[in-house]
Amino acid sequence: MIKVSDLSFSYRKGTPVLSGINLELDQRSTAIIGQNGAGKTTFVKLLKGLLKADEGDIFVNNHHVKETTAAELAKTIGLVFQNPNDQMFKRTVLDEVMFGPLNIKMDKQQAKENALMAIRMVDLQGKLDINPHDLSLSEKKLLCIAAIVAMDPDIIILDEPTIAQDHAGKEKIKQIIKALKDKNKLVMTIIHDMDFVAENFERTIVFNEGKVLLDGDTRQVFSQKDMLKKAHVEPPGITQLAEMLGIQETILTVEEFIHRNKEAARD
Amino acid sequence: MKSISLYVDKESFIHDFDPITKLLYILFALFLPLILLSFTVSFISVGVSIVLLMAAGVIRKTIPVFSFVFLVLITVVIIQGLFRPENETILFQIGPLAMYKEGLLYALTITLRVMNIVSAFLILVLTTKPSDLVETLVRKGMSPRIGYVIVSVFQIIPEMMASMSTITDAQRARGMETEGKLSVRMKAFLPLLGPVILGALINTKERALALEVRGFNSHVPKTYLYEEKTHALSKWVQAILLLLLVGAGVWRIFG
Repeated sequence: MIKVSDLSFSYRKGTPVLSGINLELDQRSTAIIGQNGAGKTTFVKLLKGLLKADEGDIFVNNHHVKETTAAELAKTIGLVFQNPNDQMFKRTVLDEVMFGPLNIKMDKQQAKENALMAIRMVDLQGKLDINPHDLSLSEKKLLCIAAIVAMDPDIIILDEPTIAQDHAGKEKIKQIIKALKDKNKLVMTIIHDMDFVAENFERTIVFNEGKVLLDGDTRQVFSQKDMLKKAHVEPPGITQLAEMLGIQETILTVEEFIHRNKEAARD
Repeated sequence: MKSISLYVDKESFIHDFDPITKLLYILFALFLPLILLSFTVSFISVGVSIVLLMAAGVIRKTIPVFSFVFLVLITVVIIQGLFRPENETILFQIGPLAMYKEGLLYALTITLRVMNIVSAFLILVLTTKPSDLVETLVRKGMSPRIGYVIVSVFQIIPEMMASMSTITDAQRARGMETEGKLSVRMKAFLPLLGPVILGALINTKERALALEVRGFNSHVPKTYLYEEKTHALSKWVQAILLLLLVGAGVWRIFG
């Protein structure tokens, strides 16, 4: 779906933010992790066409990103920003969600249908006529996800979706990611919540100092302790606990941990 | 984040002087030519300011400011040289247009005064941190509220510019074109401006609360974060500047 070759980028000459990135992103849900300043946000902005690469090429569903504007790419790739206040300006939740679909020339009826479907997906159907600024931060973040989902792009990137979410909010986002995966969308995220990554993403890419340090199945990535340390990334809490208890295999979720211990007790 | 302050962080004896001395120098450079009404004094005053800017190592930073000022002053020279009502003596002619001595002399007076004010202000602006200036004024009795308003402008404007860039990206990500024809840009105005204004209002409220919880409005005497900046020669320089001004006044009245 996305092919990145020899990608380099710098905001200022002489200080590269990204260099020599080669990646192929397929249908697997993918988390991009790494410490602050590793180049994650710059990378997704380049995928979305919000920045133009100094060197290298990006193809998103055969669109050459360098030759396409971010607005044109909106039909193919959606990016949910971290801070919901950066985008909201309409008077009602429904209008806010319909803004994107109407921008990409979807007809009004279709835009409304898509918007209502997306609003139902994020569980805000009871707040259609509410001013978005009257929602809680958690609901605002869900609204922003709906605003992108309604545009029906093939690829959806979520920037720190779990920030400001309580347990129920995280569960809701889990369901949204699953629903999108079921619709054959490529779901990507930039995130610092490793527990969430372990539970929900099939593939994990670790960025460090503008380069890809690790790339592979999430389990395989979280098994490489030394490399993660180099990127200043901690494995999920449950993975660390299992390791401290001497469990050899890499455990990613609480369910796996319980299952593994029950098996061990039975033996 | 880009700063809107013109301050140049360097080490020089001009940087070492306190803001009050620099403010006093502005008053001196402003009033001396007005009191003495002499081209020579104006020239000397501009010359001294330029030498001080060179000594501070900030003369290159003045080029864009002086270029803009010259652009405005050229129009003054042309208009006064050609059309001043008191014009009588033709100095030279370019085709049908005659340049008059009286108008040009008047334009020169204005030019010198403007140069004088701008160069004196540049000494203050380029060699003094805004926060140092405000803190000094608060020490001298200015309201801390007014001080905070001045300092926060230097923080809020770059923040708003950064936030504008993020908002533009967020709306482009939703398929909104922000570049191209005027009509396209006009259409993008509300989606961009709405979040900027609302964001600014939310930030203002949060800033006010953050200040309040940190005791901004407490009535006890405050401890200042930085040591008061003083230079061994500050008092002498201030006294000399004041004496010169008073002397010029006396000269003008009785001379």
